[in-house]
Amino acid sequence: MADPVTSSTGRSASRRSGRLAKPWLPWAYLAPAIVLYGLFMLFPLGRAAQYSFFEWDGLGASEFVGFDNYVALVQDEQLREAFGHALVLIFFYAVLPLCVGLVLAAILTRAQVRGLGFFRTVIFLPQVIAMVVVAVTWRQIYAPDGPLNGFLRMVGLESWTRPWLGDYTFTLPAVGLIGSWVSLGLVTVLLMAGMSRVPRELYEAARIDGAGAFREFFAITLPSVRGEITVALTLTIVAALKTFDLIYVTTSGGPGTSTTVPSYEVYRRAFQLGEVGAATAVGIALTLIVFAINFVVNQIGDKK
Amino acid sequence: MHRHTRLAAIAGSAALLLGLASCAPGTGQDDRPEASGEISKDISGVGDVTLTVWDQEVRGGQNEQMEQLNAAFEEKYPNVTIDRNSQAFDDLNTTLRLALTDKDAPDVVQANNGRNTMGAFVEAGQLRPLDDYAELYGWFDRYSPSILQYSTYSDDATVFGEGNLYGLPQVGEVVGIFYSKAKLAALGLEVPADWAAFDAALAAAKAAGETPMQLGNIEQWPAGHVFGPLQGNYVEAGVITDLGLGNPGASWTTPENVAAAEALQGWVNDGFFNAGVNGTDYDAAWQALADGNGVFLIGGSWLAADLEDAMGEDVGFFVPNTDAGSPATTGGTGLPFTITSAAENTDVAAAYIDFITSDEAMEILAETGNLPVNRTAELAPASGVLADVFTQFGNVTENGSVLPYLDYATPTFGETLGQALQGLLDGQLSPTAFTEQLEADYSEFVSKNG
Amino acid sequence: MKVSGLEKGANYVVLILFAFIVLGPIGVILSLAFGPQSASVGREGRIFHWENFPDAWEIGRFGQYMTTSVTVAAIVVVVAVSASILAGYALGTMKFRFATPLFYIFLLGIMVPTEAIIVPLYFDLRTVGLTNTVWGVAFPQIAMSIAFGTYWMRTYFRTTNRAMIEAARLDGAGSFRILWQILVPIGRPAILTLVLLTFMWTWNEFLVPLVMSPNGDVRTAPLGLAFFQGQYTQGTALLAAGAVLVALPVVVLYVFLQRHFIKGMIEGAVRE
Repeated sequence: MADPVTSSTGRSASRRSGRLAKPWLPWAYLAPAIVLYGLFMLFPLGRAAQYSFFEWDGLGASEFVGFDNYVALVQDEQLREAFGHALVLIFFYAVLPLCVGLVLAAILTRAQVRGLGFFRTVIFLPQVIAMVVVAVTWRQIYAPDGPLNGFLRMVGLESWTRPWLGDYTFTLPAVGLIGSWVSLGLVTVLLMAGMSRVPRELYEAARIDGAGAFREFFAITLPSVRGEITVALTLTIVAALKTFDLIYVTTSGGPGTSTTVPSYEVYRRAFQLGEVGAATAVGIALTLIVFAINFVVNQIGDKK
Repeated sequence: MHRHTRLAAIAGSAALLLGLASCAPGTGQDDRPEASGEISKDISGVGDVTLTVWDQEVRGGQNEQMEQLNAAFEEKYPNVTIDRNSQAFDDLNTTLRLALTDKDAPDVVQANNGRNTMGAFVEAGQLRPLDDYAELYGWFDRYSPSILQYSTYSDDATVFGEGNLYGLPQVGEVVGIFYSKAKLAALGLEVPADWAAFDAALAAAKAAGETPMQLGNIEQWPAGHVFGPLQGNYVEAGVITDLGLGNPGASWTTPENVAAAEALQGWVNDGFFNAGVNGTDYDAAWQALADGNGVFLIGGSWLAADLEDAMGEDVGFFVPNTDAGSPATTGGTGLPFTITSAAENTDVAAAYIDFITSDEAMEILAETGNLPVNRTAELAPASGVLADVFTQFGNVTENGSVLPYLDYATPTFGETLGQALQGLLDGQLSPTAFTEQLEADYSEFVSKNG
Repeated sequence: MKVSGLEKGANYVVLILFAFIVLGPIGVILSLAFGPQSASVGREGRIFHWENFPDAWEIGRFGQYMTTSVTVAAIVVVVAVSASILAGYALGTMKFRFATPLFYIFLLGIMVPTEAIIVPLYFDLRTVGLTNTVWGVAFPQIAMSIAFGTYWMRTYFRTTNRAMIEAARLDGAGSFRILWQILVPIGRPAILTLVLLTFMWTWNEFLVPLVMSPNGDVRTAPLGLAFFQGQYTQGTALLAAGAVLVALPVVVLYVFLQRHFIKGMIEGAVRE
């Protein structure tokens, strides 16, 4: 029973011109995805942009205020602070794990150690644990009479003990280190996968030329995993900017305002302070920054 | 084919944009519920009703009393089922705002008296004024006016303390100083009679190698309960009341307020607190006291039940006198129970509120380790820290001054105060800068409020 | 390539050090979870307090929350994965106008932070009465999962054997039969990975259920844990036990199927 689509003349004709006989077919398959995605991702995104031009407390009537919320964004010191903190978190979520991960992956790929598979499973584990659980765990670890301070006292570093989540200088880095702990596995495994694809011959050739471990690393390993580095940076930077669960459960932005982050500001303003317009403006700004950083990272990654 | 699809796409996006532009956010409704229509005390004939109640009675004694009273109410009115949603203070703060505007908003809600919560809800027309039920049930006789003022707002919520009645509290609250009797005796000290003696006791404890005071301020609000009583020693009660209720006419940047801030910072500098107050959990602090770590803990009477559970006879409670010779401390009432404007069966809701604040209910409150707001002296337990709490509450309300919680003042004051106190405790803010931050929030609100 | 014994030893040290760094905090929470609930219980002298888990389960109402989590996750996985397979099939095997821009629009969704859309989503869903319902919590997550899922399935479908598809078409198979009877069975590993990842992300999601269900009717397990932290004031043992309970399902899945998890997250990210 010949299908009209696949009849001899029809088939060869459509194949030659590259057009489908049933042009609506792809759209039929795409329909569910497009509808759901459009309704619950794109439409709210547009609405968020719309809300950001209004002043609304979420309860009563709203007032159109043009670009006021965006102007306030730039002028509001607290918001600038929050974005600054996000940058610090980027360092801890992305840069630090990348550096450590590169070294770690390089060592392990070169090495002939057994248990690499097991190690990979272990180091990746923090990625699958719910962030709330991670936050609850680390809040206990960082407690003034918790295991971290206990450990420091045990090894004679009593002077290093402090209230990790209550110290104006150290709380943000402390929170950042939690992010490093979570990211390290993803980055290392990613790099290991990339490094294992580097052909042995390249290393052999370098060794014959008399290159040592460092030269090998910078001349061969690093360039070969450029793609993986780009991806690692993209994923971890986005994760850093999206941080919410962690702050909500550990510090709520404190002490003072030393760990406020943009995503927590969105939540706070919209649902606790009743400033919905300002909140969505922050959300849109955050989205644009995420896009921009992704773009830049990918450009650099592709170019060199 | 090309042009048509492109045109279609452009037309489509234009339509979408227009559509977005036309439906502005917000409902545009500003209606206030009217306390009109027939009301009645008799709810036995209303058929099967589910009453949705949101409360924050999560601690030991609080939870017990709520469960007992709910069960008793359901027994008295078998046609009513209570759907209880109980959350901790911080969580309720967030979720309540969202819940009240929902289609299925709760009927009875325990809302914080302050401008951030009750004030905002009254302004948005989400709470029903209760004066008519108050007349019907005789609530104005049951409570003293000084208690009811904390649940009273004007129609548009600009005035706090005068206007319509919006809620009834079950418990009284008083902030004071818990102490370990054993430790105090070991130091050879008597219970301090006034703040000067308290300072001396702190110094003595420190000298003896003890942690004088425990404080867990990671959540930012607990320190407000330390500063409040301390401020009562330096600033006049009337001024504090204006500052605390967000009413005009007072100022934070006075020498007295600065002196109070200096005193608090002085305690930190003298090492009278546990290390790392800003990083310590609120509950970890009283648990530390219970574990024998520390002599004093400045906190609210709601901790008494838990502390008694943990420390038994060893714990006591007192409120020192100010230099004027009478006690002045933060306190007043627990969170009042209100009726939302979305409540369908207000008679049932009012009957419920009447039931849980009745004279009989006060007995159950006392039995479960809480501080009933009425019949307090009558129902005081014979001994233990709760006896102390009852005595002090009576003493402060009759002979001294009850100061409002400072975070009542403006919709953002809770946050402002919390952050400023963390700064003061950490040394980031000087006492003057501290008062200036508070003044900024207070004066801005007062001038906008008109 | 011979590696010296010293280097080998150093490598083991590094391995063990980092394994310790990763497992340390997990050890802490486990030890807290098995510890005594209060000083008086501690005096009983037992080492493993197994009763913490059923206690936390009951007091923290985790049974209810885990059930909600399972329900939401099931809905999201079924709907999102199905939609992604269909969409990925179209994008990956069919040539048509707008295919590339459409793909990039889906890709966008992976980068959009939830915070940006959660505020209007809440208010609009409230207007249509979907807040505090399972669908209100599920739909946003379905959309988020479709973004990654479409990308993932498209990548898979692009690598499938064209010759095989052509042969099937010659035999008279329609597009759907090709998908259902040939490509899906072969693509089981890729689909399994997508299912696992979607399940994990949905189970661990915090912000969406937090905002979409203020009255707690549709509270998922991670939320239950956060609220438990505020509500349970007597100590840390039950909180830690609750944390372990919440993380357990995904961790168990991970331990048994970790190859799929890791493969998915790594390859999905790299192959662009």
